[in-house]
Amino acid sequence: MAGEDAKTVTLTTSDNQSLKVDREVAERSILIKNLLEDLGTDGAEEIPIPNVNEAVMKKVLEWCEHHRKDPPASQDDDSDSRKKSTDIDEWDQKFMQVDQEMLFEIILAANYLDIKALLDVGCKTVANMIKGKSPDEIRKTFNIQNDFTPEEEDQIRRENEWAEDR
Amino acid sequence: MASSNMPPVPAKNDVKATWAYLEAGVEKIMTNLRGGMDMKTYMGLYTAIHNFCTAEKAVAGTSFTSHTNRGGAHLLGEDLYQHLIEYLKAHLKDVQARSKEHTDEALLTFYIKEWNRYTTAGQYNNHLFRYLNRHWVKREMDEGKKHIYDIYTLHLVRWKEDMFIGTQESVMRSVLKLVEKQRNGETIEQSYIKSVVDSFVSLGLDEQDSSKSTLDVYREYFEKPFLEATAEYYNNESKQFLAENSVVEYMKKAEARLDEEKDRVPLYLLNEIMTPLMRTCEQALITNHSEALRDEFQNLLNHDKQEDLGRMYKLLARIPEGLDPLRTKFETHVRKAGIEAVNKISAEGDKIEPKVYVDALLEVHTQYQELVNRAFNGESEFVRSLDNACREFVNRNKICKSGSNKSPELLAKYTDTLLKKSSAKMNEEDNIENLLSQVMTVFKYIEDKDVFQKFYSRMLAKRLVQATSASDDSETTMISKLKEACGFEYTNKLQRMFQDMQISKDLNSAYKDWLGKTLDDGDLKNSVDATYHILGTGFWPLNNPTTSFTPPQLIVQTYERFSRFYNNKHQGRKLTWLWHLSKGEMKANYCKVAGQKASPTLQVSTFQMAILLLFNDSETVAYDEIAEATKLDKDTLDPSIGVFIKAKVLIAEPEGAKPESGTTYKLNYGFKPKKIKINLNIAIKGEQKQETEDTHKTIEEDRKLLMQSAIVRIMKSRKKMKHQQLVSETIQQIKSRFMPRVPDIKKCIDILLEKEYLERLDGDELGYLA
Repeated sequence: MAGEDAKTVTLTTSDNQSLKVDREVAERSILIKNLLEDLGTDGAEEIPIPNVNEAVMKKVLEWCEHHRKDPPASQDDDSDSRKKSTDIDEWDQKFMQVDQEMLFEIILAANYLDIKALLDVGCKTVANMIKGKSPDEIRKTFNIQNDFTPEEEDQIRRENEWAEDR
Repeated sequence: MASSNMPPVPAKNDVKATWAYLEAGVEKIMTNLRGGMDMKTYMGLYTAIHNFCTAEKAVAGTSFTSHTNRGGAHLLGEDLYQHLIEYLKAHLKDVQARSKEHTDEALLTFYIKEWNRYTTAGQYNNHLFRYLNRHWVKREMDEGKKHIYDIYTLHLVRWKEDMFIGTQESVMRSVLKLVEKQRNGETIEQSYIKSVVDSFVSLGLDEQDSSKSTLDVYREYFEKPFLEATAEYYNNESKQFLAENSVVEYMKKAEARLDEEKDRVPLYLLNEIMTPLMRTCEQALITNHSEALRDEFQNLLNHDKQEDLGRMYKLLARIPEGLDPLRTKFETHVRKAGIEAVNKISAEGDKIEPKVYVDALLEVHTQYQELVNRAFNGESEFVRSLDNACREFVNRNKICKSGSNKSPELLAKYTDTLLKKSSAKMNEEDNIENLLSQVMTVFKYIEDKDVFQKFYSRMLAKRLVQATSASDDSETTMISKLKEACGFEYTNKLQRMFQDMQISKDLNSAYKDWLGKTLDDGDLKNSVDATYHILGTGFWPLNNPTTSFTPPQLIVQTYERFSRFYNNKHQGRKLTWLWHLSKGEMKANYCKVAGQKASPTLQVSTFQMAILLLFNDSETVAYDEIAEATKLDKDTLDPSIGVFIKAKVLIAEPEGAKPESGTTYKLNYGFKPKKIKINLNIAIKGEQKQETEDTHKTIEEDRKLLMQSAIVRIMKSRKKMKHQQLVSETIQQIKSRFMPRVPDIKKCIDILLEKEYLERLDGDELGYLA
């Protein structure tokens, strides 16, 4: 059920904005790619993206534009190197220099739209924010309330004593 | 967000509402994909699943109990998965029910149509449920849960359980009916079968790894019944056909059927079936009737039906051990043919022409070799049978009744006629090469290769000494062929004979130079112009002359001069003159060739020369005088004179008198020959036969020596050996030359014991005495 191969497609965001992009760019999203393959497109019908707003979508598309020529992500790319490494290439690092709210919106969108590479970059960025920080520092960074009772906290600390850096 | 005919997008944590929404979408995909689907619906369905799976907590009290997760985040989705299973089960139950309404081709059409619709929908659903696949299904499978599949595989699993199991039998029945129709010559819609095969193959899921597929389902439900039906079909057909037709016709039919089945595979079957399908057909078409086929073999051989023989070969070659009985029959047949061919020409008895005999052997060999090549594909086992048969009839036939010596003797004589100079046959160079190759064909089968060697070397010697060899090239070719077949030792002497001839040539020219230096012109003019062959005693199979002989003075002077020269060059060598092999030319100055001024030249043997030279001193010479002067014995002298009388060079007095005491001979001045050169050196009859007998006698002696030396060689390396072992080892060593008989070997061992080369040890053992 291949599409009729329109070169561009129009996406409609949750706040009802239309974004016209090259099909190749949009197809970084496996969701959109499958949809176009299944339904075909003449370019006229707009693709609704009910879970992403315009601001986030634009950001996501910026990333897709930059990575449009990357080799297509294979269905199950679980190679160890991708999993373990926290290296992020320079462009992506800069790209991810956004406020925390936007960062999490990007990650959610990448997960929804099925853009694995972007999801990875986002998660790695968060991981790097956590790395080397104490629990209190982490709470502070992400604005998390400590909902443990002191007793609970004590128990967890004892259970994980072996991991303490002494 | 929802399109007009879809329920509203549900709240993300409401299972019932979510499934109701999804079910409507899935139903549309399943049953009405052609009606089209808009992007809103597609995205709506995907989003509903995404939202459900990412909801923070599912509403409690769902129809399916969610399991407790240990470690890691709780993933939602099981409810949707279970709902989908229930949906598919219900859906397929309906499909299966509807399939019962159809049979035969209609059933196939139905099955294929439903299969295509269902799998296409499955692909769609797989995409829509991708979020579920990526998270919940993946997690379940990573944790090693059984019977959890990605959504597309789940579709296949359900089809197999809820649709396939119940219908496959009737589907296959229809497929097999269709194939039978095609085998009966009708045209069928092959794509039906191909689609069914593809469907069955798709259903082969690996329980261990759902991303892999196996052929288990296909093998069990397609291949097995297909092969059974094939076997039954051909069992029936072949039985019936053979009952009504000849074996030859049947073979054509079987061949055509096998080709047909082979061609069937790429048309609509899986390549994997090729081997079992061929096995099945071969069993039904060939193995089950192999006896009938083999019974026909002799008949086909008798009538030289090459094409049918080839067909039979090809058929029986397909089944294990199918050809063995044919090989045995073939061998017997060829042997009989060979023996009969010899019988036909054996009327002439001992006087048989060598060429007739060799040609008869070759004809049989050629005929059946061609058969092996053309009908039996040149297969090595048949070649071996042919060789065995040829070896039998070459060495054991009516001509050889007196002894297997006859074949090598006749073959050697035939070779001699090929290599001899002869104006009668103008053998082109490559033709003779061909004929020599044929000789080697027969030679290969000869068991008594030593006999051939004996005769061959004698005849070669004669050709060389008498300069009757047609071409050095052909001689060398033949020797190298023999060397190739039997090794260096076999041809060593033959090569040395050749060398001697070359050395003699050089020696003669050196002698000429020497003569020029040592003699003055007068002596040179009066001396006899002579050529010498110096032949090594050990290499040449030549006998000393049987008669005594006093060479005339003129010859004595000539050869003594040469002896001086030779002894100068090689001291301590003894020269023995083989007068019976020598010859010369004499000019008859007392008469003229008819109508010409020139005097004739007589070509004579040295013995004849000695006789004629006597007439230089006196015109009339008495028989006794000749005998006295030449010292030739009567057996040699009388025929030599006889030739002169017959040629009218001499006249006997009284006329017609026998060569005996009292007869005198006169030079015939009226001798008027028509040619300038007259050959009077005619071989004396009886000499040849004598030679043959001599040769056979020496062979027996040589064989004893050959066996003894083989025994000594073996014992020298083994030191100790059992008697029986030694005998068989000796046979092994000797058999390339001739087939030794066990009693002869035993005799040789006894001789060696007597000569104290060997000693008897305990327990039937023999020891080597250095």
